[in-house]
Amino acid sequence: MHIPDGYLSVQVCLTTTAAGAAAAAYALRRTRMELTSSQAPAAALTGAFIFAAQMLNFPIAGATSGHFLGAALAAMLFGPWAAAIIMSTVLIIQAVLFHDGGITALGANILCTAFIGSFVGHGVHQALLRLLGARLRAVSAFAASWVSIVAASGGVALLLALSGAAPFGAVLPAMFGWHALIGIGEGLIAMAVVQYLTERSGSLAKAGAHA
Amino acid sequence: MNGRNDERGEYRLTGSRRKWTVLALLTLAAAGLMSPWASGSPDGLERVAEDLGFVDREAAIHALSPMPDYEVAGIPWEAVRVGLAGLIGAVVMAAVLWAALRALSGKNRQAEMK
Repeated sequence: MHIPDGYLSVQVCLTTTAAGAAAAAYALRRTRMELTSSQAPAAALTGAFIFAAQMLNFPIAGATSGHFLGAALAAMLFGPWAAAIIMSTVLIIQAVLFHDGGITALGANILCTAFIGSFVGHGVHQALLRLLGARLRAVSAFAASWVSIVAASGGVALLLALSGAAPFGAVLPAMFGWHALIGIGEGLIAMAVVQYLTERSGSLAKAGAHA
Repeated sequence: MNGRNDERGEYRLTGSRRKWTVLALLTLAAAGLMSPWASGSPDGLERVAEDLGFVDREAAIHALSPMPDYEVAGIPWEAVRVGLAGLIGAVVMAAVLWAALRALSGKNRQAEMK
């Protein structure tokens, strides 16, 4: 769901570039306060994994394709601020090195996939963990990821409507519809990775020594 | 599910080196080996753009990307063009993030000591 150059109006590009830059600058400050130095290599590796997984488009209903987004995954592992930085870095590298996502739409892509994706994913995950408990944590991870990608697609739909690309009433259900399907793949991948990379606190007291 | 959330959640990031190594190998396999066989169908946003008739708005603002469309130029085999671009991207990604996050978290530790 990388918005290319040209889809958005000049006003929307300027506004989202300014807002995206401000949000990223603030997220850097928050990450500086919250990320511990032992988490940095793990977060960097997770970012590389998200980049690689984003290349693997899987076919959807013969008509379209979807790929993993990863914002919810990063947020579930490292918290929403570090996740927003990880996702913004992915988007910047994709736009600059691979021409995937427009330079003028970079702010919009950062706001939608990095920030909406990370914070919706984090919020839904925390709420569901409390509601469902640790036993159903896989369900929480799946649902948080599904909601995060659908919410991000809603943000993209809003910006497209504001840009006059398509009426909101048409573009929102269209984006929701496809990303509800893509979200199933998103949820399955994120759920598997979170299950694999997290463990019960205290189950391995010496774990910190290896980190 | 770590750091500040430790008190709330019962789960935290694994410290197992084996698991992080598996993730690294998975990353290299996805970027280098699996990426050439990804679906070429339009993604969700492109599909909507085609259906609602705004796909023509797309414009190339610049042509400066060294590896447009995830392909390294000048190699006769497409799978190698894509796989190599994927590997380069994954390595650049890890290096940039590691440098940035190490600098950020390093300052964090100093700030806490004050």
